[in-house]
Amino acid sequence: MTLKNYDYIRSLAQKGLRLDQREAFEGRRMAIKDNVINHSDGSAYVELGNTKVIAGVKVLNGTPFPDRPADGALIVNFELSELTSNYPGDRINSSIEVGRVTDRGIRESNLIDLSKLCVEEGKTVLFVYVDIVCINNEGNLFDAGNIAALRAILNTRYSIEGKEGKFSLPIDRTKLAISHTFTKINGTIFFDPSAEEENVEDTKLSIGISDKINSLQKGGDGFFTAEEVDKCIEKAIELREERFKILMDGISD
Amino acid sequence: MYEERFDKRAFNELRPMEAETGVVPNAKGSARFRIGNTEAIAAVYGPEEVKPRHIEKVDRGVIVCKYDMLPFSVPDRAKPGMDRRDIEISQVITNALNRAIILEDMPRAMINVRVYITQADAGTRCASLTAASMACADAGLPMRDLVAAVAAGKIGDHVCLDLSKEEEDFHEGEGATDVPIAFLPSKNEILLLQLDGRVSRDELKKVIEVGKEGAMKIYELEKEALKRRFSNESKS
Repeated sequence: MTLKNYDYIRSLAQKGLRLDQREAFEGRRMAIKDNVINHSDGSAYVELGNTKVIAGVKVLNGTPFPDRPADGALIVNFELSELTSNYPGDRINSSIEVGRVTDRGIRESNLIDLSKLCVEEGKTVLFVYVDIVCINNEGNLFDAGNIAALRAILNTRYSIEGKEGKFSLPIDRTKLAISHTFTKINGTIFFDPSAEEENVEDTKLSIGISDKINSLQKGGDGFFTAEEVDKCIEKAIELREERFKILMDGISD
Repeated sequence: MYEERFDKRAFNELRPMEAETGVVPNAKGSARFRIGNTEAIAAVYGPEEVKPRHIEKVDRGVIVCKYDMLPFSVPDRAKPGMDRRDIEISQVITNALNRAIILEDMPRAMINVRVYITQADAGTRCASLTAASMACADAGLPMRDLVAAVAAGKIGDHVCLDLSKEEEDFHEGEGATDVPIAFLPSKNEILLLQLDGRVSRDELKKVIEVGKEGAMKIYELEKEALKRRFSNESKS
């Protein structure tokens, strides 16, 4: 990333233009592949433009937390290493943030009914591990990671010791909180930032939306006004339908 | 239904607060902020030489901020040192301070901000940020304004200010929605905004409004504490 590009992207942004010629609220192409990992109980590979992530779900027995003896647990982890890009930035911190925000989106929307994951109260419950790994970072890991995690959870089929057959996770499909990330560069708001845009952005806002707003996360050093936050939410509500269609495409009832 | 708050507060009422600066004499600036049973102590060192060198910036200063929940601050024992949650909160606090402090005035310098949570009862990231901004002001750093942070939210059908731990764990109906939010009051800018739970667009607007009102009260308290400190100093 050269300093020249930095100024160029920011001056374009002031005019409402983007380096890759997208409209302000135009997302990149999203493609999903199912069951890409044999050893997982559910998995998904997501491409958002050139951002590539894999999510794998494993459902394993575990000891319940002392304060929730009859509830299963959800553990979301996001892995981002030097393998994924050559852009500067604090990789380790940002990967923890992505993991925790993805976790919150799934947890707070109550997508998975954890009370149904109890095997023996106080002794054994099921732990749902969702591991998301970035392969190529071309920006907007929040959205790519979120979609990959949701899709992998949707297609998870796990087996239980001593029981016949495969089981799906107890999920409520009306509660899929889909992440929409906006970036603010030089006073203009754009949807679905690329890595170059993230590198010059002032601030960003990730919104997790089901029928209500389930999660928000402001990132970056800049600021938003209350009006700008509302504008992003309005756009996210509009954009959700398309993302939802792509997410559910090919998922059977 | 949630008609009356557990601690009998009005829905837009903050818990009792205390603010004080200069609590860590060794530091360049320091502050203690207490809201209900949540207490944060912040200390600021610098501007000083940047270490490690690779994070140095030629055109502006850098802030390194660490938030740490002390082992005895929670009902169970928290593991000493920083966990994933602490790292994320450090990051969002740093983001907010990066805007509040005029870093362009101190190229090639580093500011170290350390925050301890001595007692945790919800709203720790907001208390940390409030304490950290007071400590920065106490250290005499060039700032756009103080930062005032508070957790607003929704419990049942009620928009609430300054949620307690008991309220955060409320599970009936739509449960609790927690919205930590930080303002730069004089410029009307939002520097920190997070949400988890379940709210509609209109409800969120109200939550932000209530948060703003609460933040303004915290802002006044911060200013008072700083004034008190500097009038004391001139006397002694």
